[in-house]
Amino acid sequence: MARFEVSQAIENTAPPAAAVAQPGGALTRSLIGGLVTSLPVLMVGLLILNFAPTYYTYLALGAFVNLIVVVGLQVFMGNSNIANLGHSAFVGLGAYGVAILSTPLAMKKLSIPNAPFGFATLQLDPVSSALIALVVVGILAAVSGKVISRLSGVAATIVSLALLIIVHSVFLNWTDLFKGNQAFFGIPKVVGLPWMMVFSVVVIVLARLFKDSRWGLQLRASAQSPQAAAALGIDARRLRLMSWVLSALICGLAGVLYAYFAGTISPKLFYFQMIFNTLAMLILGGMATVTGAVTGVIVLSVGLEFIRSIESGVTIAGIQLPQLLGLSGVALGVVIVLCMAFRPSGISGRYELDELLSRLFRRSAK
Amino acid sequence: MDYALQQLLNALAFGAEYSLVALGLAVVFSIMGLVNFAHGEIIGVSAYSVFLAAALGLTSPIVAVLLAVAAAALAAIAFERVAFRPVRYAPTTTGLLTAFGVSIVVQNLFMLLISPKPQSVSILNGLNQMWFFGPFAVSSLQVMELVVSGLTILALVLFLNRSTLGLAIRAASRDFATVRLMGIRANRVIATAFAISGALAGIAAVFIIARRGSVSPDLGFSLVLKAFVACVIGGFGSLPGAAAGGMLLGFIEVGLLVALPQEYGGFKDALTYVIIVALLVYRPEGLLGQRVELGDKEI
Repeated sequence: MARFEVSQAIENTAPPAAAVAQPGGALTRSLIGGLVTSLPVLMVGLLILNFAPTYYTYLALGAFVNLIVVVGLQVFMGNSNIANLGHSAFVGLGAYGVAILSTPLAMKKLSIPNAPFGFATLQLDPVSSALIALVVVGILAAVSGKVISRLSGVAATIVSLALLIIVHSVFLNWTDLFKGNQAFFGIPKVVGLPWMMVFSVVVIVLARLFKDSRWGLQLRASAQSPQAAAALGIDARRLRLMSWVLSALICGLAGVLYAYFAGTISPKLFYFQMIFNTLAMLILGGMATVTGAVTGVIVLSVGLEFIRSIESGVTIAGIQLPQLLGLSGVALGVVIVLCMAFRPSGISGRYELDELLSRLFRRSAK
Repeated sequence: MDYALQQLLNALAFGAEYSLVALGLAVVFSIMGLVNFAHGEIIGVSAYSVFLAAALGLTSPIVAVLLAVAAAALAAIAFERVAFRPVRYAPTTTGLLTAFGVSIVVQNLFMLLISPKPQSVSILNGLNQMWFFGPFAVSSLQVMELVVSGLTILALVLFLNRSTLGLAIRAASRDFATVRLMGIRANRVIATAFAISGALAGIAAVFIIARRGSVSPDLGFSLVLKAFVACVIGGFGSLPGAAAGGMLLGFIEVGLLVALPQEYGGFKDALTYVIIVALLVYRPEGLLGQRVELGDKEI
């Protein structure tokens, strides 16, 4: 609330000349802020694009998908302060949406010959498939969001979990359309690292714009003090619904991109494992800021890859360690528990990267 | 008639198990606002202690049952001491995420230290027999589930209503500060609540082992998700609500199993959750929950 009052006070006292010199100052500032936040991502991406061997490019693509999911998660969790444990359902819906629409007919004959509604004989180009998939994700998000935005914090979290289980169980059991437990293969591989980077930047900027927008500010205010926000005439339900849908669309986009780079998907990819990973990333980085989301993804992607190499059994000083299945899970859980106990605001805390930098420069200028 | 009775017993047995687990969640939530996602891992610890004891040569089922309940209660107290105490005064979301983290750690420890594959435990299989009442054949396990859950809930009600500590727990669920002003230690109240919650989970664990005859790392997880849903339909934090929500969930599940054709059986879980979400549209505060306006002091 304090920040809200301060920003209003500044707006009221700022000389009109400044407003003329800086048309849409707040918008520009948050746009630039978003771009600054996405700089590290771009740098990592460019380095990998130019120097890394193929194996690392593949890992990086996975990390970029996680990045988009975590940023999507931040849009809802960071602003409304309600834990969402069902976001990978939307990732799955996006991925299966494009899989069903854009897979070549010859492949469909092998995988889903009995698909209902004429999907077995339908093949669209990747772009319109992606758009249709996102529209479907948006509609489902709006419907589920109607329920979730009405509930109090805890109940909303449980219902988001129920949503995940509903979607997963439909993937598993509607075998004619989703191919059940088996992998859905043959999706056109049309997305490489450059496109992935472009979408990551777009998503980061979008999340930042939402956070700094009037709606984002009001939603954050209502999360901190529901009574005060309601007294100011803020409709928290509508804002929660809005951020839920935006968050779902970003997660859906991540799913679309995943399907287009991997070419093969299966239901278990979009279940609890993804929830654990992305949630730990967001918590470690700090869920209050978009910078936190980015930081968490970078740190944990590297860390998890290291742990996975130990997990599969390594040789240290001539001693062959056995396979340690579950080690990465233990590490993820420990990260979440320790973060919550000692630094609930995560690595990046309250400030975005650009805000931190400008504070730093201002201090050194003095 | 036989079939209808059998399904009724099924529904009651499922419902009783959900109620037990949901009550454990509600006891903890009502006094400290912790959404204990690690409840399933308390069931897990209990089940794995029975597995280890059996592997080390334990043969008496009665000792195994006692061990299961004691291990669960101790595990619950240990989780509180290690993980939940640092976040006791933190917002609900922090506690929820901590518990989620604990759940991931313990599940993966089972994988790491024992095995990712299900392990067979046959020590409690004797509980699962067929009993014949005249023309009816019923599963002994289901009857026991129903009777034991009923007795446990009765004991819980007596404890909460007749003992000082029980009174303190009920009072703490309304206003913890005043309870402490009356000279009752917060730690003792919370540890008791966790011990109760753990013991309830331990009883559930006994029935799970007896029914499945095996233990696996994720054995409590999906059950606890259902128990959460039971809590939400009943009204989160309300004990009668948790018990009623668990029963309702049992009836919805068995009803769907009966109503759905065989080939759609896989959609049972999805439909159960859809029905429950639909219920929440009409009563967002749960069936037995009260509508609390912001700023209300008396709940």
